[in-house]
Amino acid sequence: MKTLNKEVLFGLYDDETDLLNAVNAANKAHLDIMDVYTPFPVHGLDPALGLAESRLHIAGFVYGMTGTLTGFGFMTWVFTRDWPIIFGGKPYWSVPAFIPVTFELTVLFAAIGMVVTFYTICGMGPGVTNPTLHDRITDDKFCLAFQTNGMDAEEINKLKNFLSTSNASEVHQKNI
Amino acid sequence: MNTQFVFEGKQKTILLSAMLLGLACLGLTWVYDDEYHTRFWTNVLHNSVFFTGISAVALFLITAGITMYGGWATAFKRIWESYSLFMIVGMVLLGVIAIGNVGHFHHLYHWADSSAVEGDKILKGKSGFLNNTWYMLATFVFLGTWFLFAYKLRQLSVKEDAEGNYEAGDFTIHRTMRKYAAAFLPIFGFTSAAAIWLWVMSIDAHWFSTLFAWYCTASLVVSMVCVTILMLLYLKSIGYMTYITKEHFHDLGKYTFAFSVFWTYLWFSQFMLIWYANLGEETTYFKLRMTQYPVLYWGNFIMNFVLPFLILIRNDTKRKFGSIGFAASLVLFGHWWDFFQMIKPGAYKNMQEHVEHMAHQGGGHEAAQHGSEAAAGAGHAVAASHEVAHHAATFVEGFTIPGLLEMGTFVGFAALFVYVVFMNLAKASLLPKNDPYVQESLSHHVV
Repeated sequence: MKTLNKEVLFGLYDDETDLLNAVNAANKAHLDIMDVYTPFPVHGLDPALGLAESRLHIAGFVYGMTGTLTGFGFMTWVFTRDWPIIFGGKPYWSVPAFIPVTFELTVLFAAIGMVVTFYTICGMGPGVTNPTLHDRITDDKFCLAFQTNGMDAEEINKLKNFLSTSNASEVHQKNI
Repeated sequence: MNTQFVFEGKQKTILLSAMLLGLACLGLTWVYDDEYHTRFWTNVLHNSVFFTGISAVALFLITAGITMYGGWATAFKRIWESYSLFMIVGMVLLGVIAIGNVGHFHHLYHWADSSAVEGDKILKGKSGFLNNTWYMLATFVFLGTWFLFAYKLRQLSVKEDAEGNYEAGDFTIHRTMRKYAAAFLPIFGFTSAAAIWLWVMSIDAHWFSTLFAWYCTASLVVSMVCVTILMLLYLKSIGYMTYITKEHFHDLGKYTFAFSVFWTYLWFSQFMLIWYANLGEETTYFKLRMTQYPVLYWGNFIMNFVLPFLILIRNDTKRKFGSIGFAASLVLFGHWWDFFQMIKPGAYKNMQEHVEHMAHQGGGHEAAQHGSEAAAGAGHAVAASHEVAHHAATFVEGFTIPGLLEMGTFVGFAALFVYVVFMNLAKASLLPKNDPYVQESLSHHVV
C-alpha cells in the first residue's frame, strides 16, 4: 500500500447537519480543513468548502459531440463512399436512418468518456489501493479531517477540542 | 408569509378584457372564413384541446407524485390542483365540438359525414371507433371521470389542510388520496389515449399512429410545466410564494428540458417508422405537412427542440428567473404551435375534400333537376377545388402559420384558463401546510 506521509486528525459525525455546521464553524475559526468524507453527497457542502463547480459535464459534452460526429461521419462515409447499398428504395445518404445510431454513439462516448475521466481524476480504478481513514465513512459516518504534519501538541489539542465541541462522536488520529 | 391568494378586481378586469379580445377575434374569424367556417372551428378545437390537455396533465402529475412518494412539488401543488379543476370548462368547450359533430355545425372530422363514410372503405372499417357515440363518450364520460378525480383529490387536499396532522403520525387523509391517485393512473392511461385519438388524430381520419397519444402527452407535459413556471414567476412577482426558490425552478427547468427531449424522441420516432415503412396511408400526414406547411413543420422542431435544448442545457439558465421565464414562454408557444400543426393542415384538407364531394354529389343531383347550366357550374366547382388541392402550397390565412386572429384567440383562451385557475387558487391556502411532504418541498435543494 502506498503511503502519503500524512498525519491526520479526524472527527466522525453521526449526522450530515452536524458535519455541515462543523465545516462552517471551522471556516469561521480559520482552521485549515484537509478534506471531508461522506457516504453520500451532502447538499450545501460544496459551497461551504468553497469548491468550484465540477467541469466534468463540459468533458461529457465534448465526448458526446465526438460520438455524434463519429457515428454520423462513419455512416456517411460507408454509405456514400465505401460501400453504397440501397435499402428499401431510400437514397444512399438517408439521414433519418442514421439518427438512431448517431444518438446511441453520442450516449456511449459521453458515458464511457465521463466514467474514465472521473476515475482518472479521482485516482481510482482496478489495481489502485487508496488508504481510507475509517471504514464507517463509507457506511454511516461523516468525517472532517485536518492534516497535522509539523504541528505541536498545543495546536493538535486545539483541533481536538474543536472536533469534540462541534458534536463529533469520535475523534481519531491516523498516519496514512 | 402571505399564503392566502386574493383574486383582485384589477386582475379580473384585465383577464375579462383579454377574454373579450379572444371573443372578438373568434367573431372576426367567423366572418373571414370559408363557407364551412373551418378556420373558426379549428381555432376553437385547437385551444380547447390544448388547455383541457394542460389541466388533465396537471392532474396526472399530481397523482403520479402522490403514488410515487414524490414531494418536491408539494409547496406549489395548489397551482396544479387549480389547473386540474379547469377540466370542467374544457368539457363544456369540447362538448360544443362533440354536439357539433351530431348537428353538423362544422366539418372538422371526415368520419362524422355519413355520406363520405359510405363510399370510403377505410373509414367504413374504422367506423366502429370513429363515430359520434365514442366521441361523446370521450368528451363527456372520460373527461367527466377525470374531473371527478380532480374534484375529489382537491377536496381531500383541502380537508388535509384543516384536519391533517402528519407530525402526530396521522396519515389517514394522505392514504385516501393515494388510493384515488393510484386508481386514476391506469384509467387515465387508457382513456386519455382514446380521447386524444378522437379529438385530434381522427382529423386525419385515414391516417393513424400508435405513438400519437404519447406524442401529445409529452407535448402537454412540457406545456403544463411551462405554464407552471410562468404562473410561479407571476405569483412571486406580486408577493406570493416567497418560499419557492430557484431550486424549485431548477427542477421545473429540468422537467422542461427532459420532456422537450422526450417529445423530440417521439417526434422523430413517429416520423422515422412511417418514413421507413413507406405505406401510402401513413405517409400522407407527413407528406402534407412537409411539402405544403414547411414553416409550420420545421418551426415546430426548432421551437420545441433546438432552442430549449440550447438554452436549458446549462445549469445556470434553469436557475435564473429571466432565462427560465423566457424559455418557458417560448416552449409554451411552441407546443401550442405543435397542436396547430396537428390540427390545421388536416382540417383544411378535409374541408377541400368536402367541397369536392359536395360538388360531385350536388352536380349529379342538380344536373338532373335543373339541366345543363347547373351542371356546368358544378363542374367548375370541381375544377376549382382540384386546383386548390394541388396548389395548396400557397399561403392560406390562418392555416399556413398562426395569424393574428389565432394569437388573439389564444390570448382569450389563456385568459379564461387563468381566470378559472385564480378563482380556484383563491379558495384555499397557497401552502398545503399539513401535507406530509410540505417540509421536504420547502427545504428542497438541487445542488
